Amino acid sequence: MIEEPYRWVEAIANRREYIETQLVSGSPIVALGCEEGILFLTVGSGRQKIFEIYDRIAMGAIGHPGDIERLRMAAIELASTEGFTRSAADVSLRRLAYYSLSPVMKTAFEQVYGAPYLARLLFAEVGATQAQDLFLRVEYDGAITSNGAPTAVQLDAFAVISGSRDATAAVESYLRDQHKPGATLVHGIDAALNGWVVAQLAGDTTNTKEPPTDAQIAAARAERVRAGGIEGAILERSDARAIRYRMLSESEIGAATGA
Amino acid sequence: MEPAGAAMPREFAALEDFPTLLRRRGLMSQTPLSPGPVDRAQFTETHATTILAFKFSGGVLVAGDRRATAGNTVVYDRADKVLEIDRHSIMAIAGVPATAWEMARVLEHSFQYFRRTQLQEMSVDGKVRALSKLLRDNFGFVMQGVGVVVPIFATYDFASHEPGPRLYFYDAMGAQFEVTEYAATGSGSPGVRGILYYENKWGKKPLAKLREDEAVTVALRALDTAAEADTATGGVDRSGKIFPIIKVVSQDGISTLAEEKIAAVFKRSVA
Repeated sequence: MIEEPYRWVEAIANRREYIETQLVSGSPIVALGCEEGILFLTVGSGRQKIFEIYDRIAMGAIGHPGDIERLRMAAIELASTEGFTRSAADVSLRRLAYYSLSPVMKTAFEQVYGAPYLARLLFAEVGATQAQDLFLRVEYDGAITSNGAPTAVQLDAFAVISGSRDATAAVESYLRDQHKPGATLVHGIDAALNGWVVAQLAGDTTNTKEPPTDAQIAAARAERVRAGGIEGAILERSDARAIRYRMLSESEIGAATGA
Repeated sequence: MEPAGAAMPREFAALEDFPTLLRRRGLMSQTPLSPGPVDRAQFTETHATTILAFKFSGGVLVAGDRRATAGNTVVYDRADKVLEIDRHSIMAIAGVPATAWEMARVLEHSFQYFRRTQLQEMSVDGKVRALSKLLRDNFGFVMQGVGVVVPIFATYDFASHEPGPRLYFYDAMGAQFEVTEYAATGSGSPGVRGILYYENKWGKKPLAKLREDEAVTVALRALDTAAEADTATGGVDRSGKIFPIIKVVSQDGISTLAEEKIAAVFKRSVA
C-alpha cells in the first residue's frame, strides 16, 4: 500500500494531523530564564509535567504519559551514564537532544507501521550566565527548535510548548514583549503565568488576531488559575550545589502570584 | 494478530537500578573469573585507613585521617576518605581508595538516578542496601587479595516515625550493622574503638550529649591515638598542618568543618 511514495507522504500527513489533534489539549509549559536560574511553569492537569533530567537539565512535556515516560527515562539514562563515565560537566543538552533523542523520534514517526512518540518536549539547561542558558523544543517528529545556535547570539530567554502553533506563537509574542533578561524569579513566575493564560485565550479566540489586553489576561488568570494548581520548578544558576533542579513550593509560587 | 503477551515481558519497563544499567551498558568493571590471588611481590595496593563516626548532640560526626599508604610507603597525605554521597549521606572509607571512590561514585549516581526516574527520594533502607550490594559485588576481588573496602555510612532519616541521624558500618562482604552510638573501621580502629567506648561510658558525658567542639576534641584525640601506634594512620600532621576531614550530618544537611575551626580545637585541647 505505501510502497508508492505519495502514499507514504499521505500516511505521514495523516499521522501528523492525528498527533496534533491528540496534543491540542495539552496545558502549555513555559520555561523562562531569570537572574536566579531557569524557571519552568505550568498549570496542573493532575499529573506532573516538569521533570529533573540531570544536574543542570530539566524537561517539561505534553502528550501521552506512556510516551513521555519512555523519553524521560531515555534522557535520564543517557545523561546519567555520560555523567558517571565522564563528568557532570560533559553532559550536554544539545548533544542529548540532537544526537540521541531526535533521530529515534524521527524514525518512530516515519515508520508508519509502528507507533510514533505522542509527545512534545521542552528542555532547558542552565548556564553560568543568562546568555549561556539553552532552551530546546523537541517535536514528536524529531524536529528541534533552539533559542540560538552555538555561535549565534541568544534569540530568546524563554521557550514555550503548548497544544497548538497559534497558542505557542501568542505566548512567545507576549513574553518577547514582557519578559526581559535580568528579571528576577518573582517577575518570571508572574510573566510565565500570564504567558500560560495568553495561550489559553489564544485557544478561545481563534477569530481575533489581536493580543489580549492586560485586563483580559488578569481576568482570565483570576478565573482559571488556582494557587495550588500551579506546578513550578527552577534550575538554579548558583553553583553552590551540583544539583540545580528544585521544585518550587506552593508558598514561593503564592508569594510571586499574590495567590 | 500476534498472541497477546508474546512481547510483554520485554516491553514492561523494569525498575532497573543504576549498577544494573551500568552493567548493561558495559560501564562497570566485573570481577575477573579466576586469575588467582595477587602476587604481593609484584603489586602492593594503596590503602586508606582509620575512619570513625559517632552520634553527638548535633547529629552524626564523621572523621577520617588523610593518609593513604601502599605497604610501608606513604602514597598521599591529603586523601579525602569522608565522601558526600548526597545532601544528607556520607560514606567514609577504609581500605582501597581505587575501589572505594568508584563505589562512592556509583552510589552517588544510584541515589540521583532513583530520585530522577522514580520521582521520589530513595529510602534510607534502600540506600543502605545499595552500598551493601556494591560491597558484595566486590567480594570476588577481595578474595583475590585486592580492593577490600570497609565503609561507614551516615545519613539522616526523615521518613521514619522517629526522624533522626542513622549510622551504619559494613564488613567487606557487605553485611550492614546499624549502630546507635559509634563506629570505627580501618587499621587504626582498635585504638579508636577503645577511646570511643571509654569516652561514652566513663567520660564527662556520653557521646550523644557532646557539643560540637567537644565532639571534635574526641575525634581528634582518637585519630591522634590511632596514629601513635599505626603507621598507616596519618592522625594530625602537626608540621604540615594537615588536619583530618570532619563532617557532620544533621537535619539541615552536611556541614564540613573549616580547617581553622579544627586547628583551633586541636591547639586548645589536643596538642
